[in-house]
Amino acid sequence: MNGAHDMGGMHGFGPINPEPDEPVFHAEWEKRVFALTVATGFGGEWNIDMVRFARESTDPAIYLRSTYYEKWLLGLQRLLIERGHLSEDEIARRMARIAAEQAAGGQR
Amino acid sequence: MAHDHHHHHDDDHDHSALPDTLLRTKALESLLTEKGLVDPRALDELIDTYEHRVGPRNGARVVARAWVDPQFKAKLLADGTEAIKQFGFDGRQGKDMVVVENTPRVHNMVVCTLCSCYPWPVLGLPPVWYKSSPYRARAVIDPRGVLAEFGVTLPGTVEVKVWDSTAEVRYLVLPMRPAGSEKLSEEQLAELVTRDSMIGTGVALAPGAAA
Amino acid sequence: MRVLQLDNVQEVLRAGDSARLPSNAAARFKPGDAVRTRNFQPPGHTRLPRYARAKHGVVAIDHGVFVFPDTHAASGDKKPQHLYSVRFTMRELWGEGASDIDTVHMDMFDDYLQPA
Repeated sequence: MNGAHDMGGMHGFGPINPEPDEPVFHAEWEKRVFALTVATGFGGEWNIDMVRFARESTDPAIYLRSTYYEKWLLGLQRLLIERGHLSEDEIARRMARIAAEQAAGGQR
Repeated sequence: MAHDHHHHHDDDHDHSALPDTLLRTKALESLLTEKGLVDPRALDELIDTYEHRVGPRNGARVVARAWVDPQFKAKLLADGTEAIKQFGFDGRQGKDMVVVENTPRVHNMVVCTLCSCYPWPVLGLPPVWYKSSPYRARAVIDPRGVLAEFGVTLPGTVEVKVWDSTAEVRYLVLPMRPAGSEKLSEEQLAELVTRDSMIGTGVALAPGAAA
Repeated sequence: MRVLQLDNVQEVLRAGDSARLPSNAAARFKPGDAVRTRNFQPPGHTRLPRYARAKHGVVAIDHGVFVFPDTHAASGDKKPQHLYSVRFTMRELWGEGASDIDTVHMDMFDDYLQPA
């Protein structure tokens, strides 16, 4: 698809700014997204090409402002919903529950 | 209650650009775990593997061997997959390898404009810059500008070859052996091989430059 | 959905994810052939970037037979075919002002190519 991911030759992104000696993962959530994606990828329900297409299908404006593992997170969510493993409503309710637990001081 | 070592208040706020990323991640993991679709111990093992056990020191050993052993180098360039397997570096995102050699006439640089394809078994997971829009967009249209940002300038007579990893073949650059390194052991040579030199945004270190 | 267990992780990672296929699919091209990439705008998944469509290049390497991502993503159909590394000049890709020595090599499936 002619998505935002197809960016060879685009202008305007600014300098590359490599970070010296960067860690493999920059936050705990990134590690979880990485592992969830790789683990469910072995589930036999989708292949790597479907995974890539799911990421590419993210709204272009959201794709371009997402960090790398956010792209993975949104792609994984899309696949799980499309295949009927989770619903948007279920995810939203769980997010609200976790947020409420955190606000009440019970963050795990 | 035991304090979980990865429960850092600030850690979770960094490196996310969208709202609710942290909440969404926790929600997905918690739902998938409850439904028995993921095994949390398998998740931890995956993380540990790529965080601690696979990285560019693998590729550096392959390069150093190629520098000292002409037969291995020939094999590496003819059949990268098999030659790299000899080191035991094999696996996901590296099953089909092609090694491209830098020479005084050709400088190679690898990118994946469409996503972030990268040879995990020899280099580990890619750095943020490799996966980000500026590199993905510019590498194929202005490689010399990209190289200049990395401190590399090449004469106009050298051909820069940019390899866009559009399929499942994974590319590894074999950097040139630095001058003055003739007396170094293979292990010492490996220390001169930087990750960036194997992507093609850098060159190997001069002897004595390694920390 | 199969669930990846702790005990299987290392074996599964090592087994990996090669897209190479044992197949007698005929190669339509060979190294040295002049080719032209297709001009198409698939709404589904493809690995032919927009910047490389309707461009002239030369086949540099025949990598062998691989799974075709466009159909694999759409339906799981592997449609085995040859994959080539094709060399394009910067001048061909980007036109005026582009380097006349530098090149881009891209991996192109048989289905993306026409004889030039």
